[in-house]
Amino acid sequence: MLKMARSILAGGAVLALATASASAQDAHNSVAFVPQIVGIPYFNAMQEGGNKAGAALGVKFIYSGPTDTNPVDQLQIVQNLINQGVGAVAVSVLDASSLAPVVQAAKAKGVKLFTSDSDAPKSGRAVYVAQATDEGLGYTIVDELVKRVGDDAKIGIVSGEATASNLNAWIGFMQQRAKEKYPKLKLLAPQFAGGTAERAAQIASDMMTANPDLKAVIAVASTTCPGVGQAIETAGKVGKVIGTGYCSPNTARSYIKSGSFGFSVLWDPSALGYLTVWAGKQLIDGKPFAASNTVPGMDHPVSYDDKTGVLLLGEPAVFTKDNVDKFNF
Amino acid sequence: MSLLSFAAKQPPALPILVGLWIVVVIGLAALNPSAFSLFTVTTVLQFSTLLALVALGQTLVVLCGGAGIDLSVGGATSLSAVMAMLCVKGGLPGAFVLLACLLCGAILGLINGILVTRLRILPLIATLGTFYIYSGLALSLTGGAAQSGVPLWLVPWGRGVIHGLPLPFLTLALPAYLVAGLLLGWSSWGRWIFALGYNERSARLVGIPVDRVRLIAYALSGLLAGTAALVSLAWLGSGRPNIGDNLELTSLTGAMLGGVSIFGGRGSVAGVMAAVLLLVTFQTALLQLNINTIWQVGLIGALLIAVLLADRFSTRRR
Amino acid sequence: MRSALFGFGARETTLLAACIVAFAVFALASPYFATTDNLLTILRNSNELLFLSLGMTLLLAMADVDVSVGVTMGLAAIAVGQALQGGWPPLLAGLLGPIAGAALGLVTASVVVLGRIPAIVGTLGLFGVYRAAIFLALGGSWLSGIPDGLTRVLGARPLGVPVAIIVVLIAYGCVWVLLRRTPFGPHLLAIGGSEERARLSGVAVKRTRFATFVVNGILCGVAASFYVATYRNVATTIGGALALEAIAATALGGTSITGGRCSLLGTAIGVVLLRLLQNGLLLMGVPSLWQSVVTGGLLLGVLAFEVLSERVALARLNIWARAAS
Repeated sequence: MLKMARSILAGGAVLALATASASAQDAHNSVAFVPQIVGIPYFNAMQEGGNKAGAALGVKFIYSGPTDTNPVDQLQIVQNLINQGVGAVAVSVLDASSLAPVVQAAKAKGVKLFTSDSDAPKSGRAVYVAQATDEGLGYTIVDELVKRVGDDAKIGIVSGEATASNLNAWIGFMQQRAKEKYPKLKLLAPQFAGGTAERAAQIASDMMTANPDLKAVIAVASTTCPGVGQAIETAGKVGKVIGTGYCSPNTARSYIKSGSFGFSVLWDPSALGYLTVWAGKQLIDGKPFAASNTVPGMDHPVSYDDKTGVLLLGEPAVFTKDNVDKFNF
Repeated sequence: MSLLSFAAKQPPALPILVGLWIVVVIGLAALNPSAFSLFTVTTVLQFSTLLALVALGQTLVVLCGGAGIDLSVGGATSLSAVMAMLCVKGGLPGAFVLLACLLCGAILGLINGILVTRLRILPLIATLGTFYIYSGLALSLTGGAAQSGVPLWLVPWGRGVIHGLPLPFLTLALPAYLVAGLLLGWSSWGRWIFALGYNERSARLVGIPVDRVRLIAYALSGLLAGTAALVSLAWLGSGRPNIGDNLELTSLTGAMLGGVSIFGGRGSVAGVMAAVLLLVTFQTALLQLNINTIWQVGLIGALLIAVLLADRFSTRRR
Repeated sequence: MRSALFGFGARETTLLAACIVAFAVFALASPYFATTDNLLTILRNSNELLFLSLGMTLLLAMADVDVSVGVTMGLAAIAVGQALQGGWPPLLAGLLGPIAGAALGLVTASVVVLGRIPAIVGTLGLFGVYRAAIFLALGGSWLSGIPDGLTRVLGARPLGVPVAIIVVLIAYGCVWVLLRRTPFGPHLLAIGGSEERARLSGVAVKRTRFATFVVNGILCGVAASFYVATYRNVATTIGGALALEAIAATALGGTSITGGRCSLLGTAIGVVLLRLLQNGLLLMGVPSLWQSVVTGGLLLGVLAFEVLSERVALARLNIWARAAS
């Protein structure tokens, strides 16, 4: 019985492992991207862009990420990619000190380690491919809200994980913008909902109850978007409270149409994925970045700041009722 | 005790594990020969260290029987790491970081032990409560931010590698398992653990201090969580408040795969180490073959069920 | 002994007292707490957990457990969501939830009861399998913008009472009848007390356990239908932390694995108390990161309080007994 069980398991294990593998040569001419978590529309769009770029630029694109926002899981994936000898590895880091243990290993193996979507500025990464500046993202959402609710309103913030450094950076800039430009604006302290829609909805609805004069709620993590939108609808506050956040058009669409979301701020993650792969190829080929770069397949030049090592995709985009249908991600 | 009788005493799961491990290694060799390098071994061991330490603590608690389980190991790891860093920030000299981690872990484990043995709260519920408290405190005390300030001399140990073997694994995990194995197999304390896991009433009648043994087991589990916290500080270079996420479930998976019976009284630390290594090797193999990471979660769950089914249908229960 | 098991005992009293105290504190601390809207919000947020905890109560009373209830709900939610998106009539799609839940309950029951694997380990394995299944069934993305047909049905308020409350009452009522008026109840508790003794007394242990896991699956499915109706979105991360919350609420409610004690009322009060605390603390301005700590503290606090007060009572009894002799 035991022997049969063992051979069944053995056969099963071999079958499960029977998929394509990378040989040593392929490995070097590949660019990998490690998102913060797999299975959410935002990173799926980045994957799509990466695939397109891989095909267009003649590199192999590898997309692999953790199934939950666990820093050790992400680290394991990055380490294994480095071991494989992948040419360039881009990481959307869960927090700014995430990469520290693998930086040396990457250098030793000649793997170009860089960040995309979320940065680790002091880690010695080769470049940071940014969707927009953290400052731009924080400022835009506050500016757009003030246009709609006035500069003396009370605004709530629902974020995802308290440990996500990129989300915290955006919140920091929101608070900075409010302090400097709109001193009468009341930005509440951020509350953290973790990764589920039900927690986000619970926190958003409690927030609205605690502050009946609340004029807006910002959903910072894309996983909190459906929760916040739903909470506004269920509380019957459509029109009285404006929801917004860094949400993908597909997720935000029904809420924008119903009016619970006023707008959504994002950028094109597919373009970000595309740019990431291009940047990786540049690093593999040893080509430096110019102050302004023309990327084959992209319709506008991309700027690079040598001092901070940031390759900037462009300005944040604002999705409203008028243009949300034009996008599919 | 001869080696043969020692081997015969091991739970039936061990040959299954070794067999599976061989299959995974052969499969990887066949499909991706370039994966075979010292780097891979180093990586596997590096990522096994935290899990191995925590799984050992879980094993000790489960072996003691009485529906023993420790759901708070992950939370204890996170909180110990955070507390040690907060102490350093508060002025503790860096040399005491080691002591701070271990002490914090031991205290957190002791609290569990007191809840279970003195207040007679069911371990599942008691450690569920402390899980919420410990992991919650780690996040709320830090606001989610990673705590920097790890003493510089600690990091080379955390990331150091000798002949492909990571230092923390070599100097902490491996010795911990050896000591635990020796204690369990060759000391009276070890015999007491198996006895009270096997049949608590008889153990009490014979005069074994059941409560004291359980208390020590929980304290040790906490202590081991503290060592895992230390390794995380040294390896990652900062105190992460979410470093222990999911460790409670994966440590339990590791212990179960390793042949430890959930009722207590049966199991070996060698099996647990083998299971931990198998799990991480399996994950590494899947990553090297670029299979979507969600399959890891599913296959490991299926593996757990399969191994337990195989074990169940091949042993004669008492 | 039987009446003490189902009736209104010491734990329920403690919980109710805790609810009242918390209510008073929050009502004083925040003017927005004691409003109809807010109280309805608390109940709405408790919805899924009420169903999941009901199933967990049955399982814990039987000395079993299921750590995969959250992802079971998730899989059932995918079935409901995809049906709604496929244009099914809302009521039919809503019924798909409990049906899918029952099917999943069958799988869990087979693994644990037929496979003779201890419940905690078997459901731990299934947790991983179902998580992967959720991801694959969703095609690695989310179900977003699900049509609101089911939302309108389940969100209706016939005679001012939300449908959700009616269904909760029906569910708890049915289970109460099962426990009190059929042999199922005593059998369940007997198994929880001692499986060996139950079997020797003639209880059909395997059948009872199997049935309970299936009932648990059905309840997860009901929770799933309400989830889809409420959030109209199914993400790959659905259901993660719910199993542990359900265990916490059930344990809070007084159901215990040893001694075969089962309290439906206690579980319900436990769930509501949990959500009440979370809501009240946020209204008071306590950062949300502290909510976990409060959950754990509440759980341990209530249990420790009970143990210590029993000991004090016993000690007093001893003193009198000694004084009398």
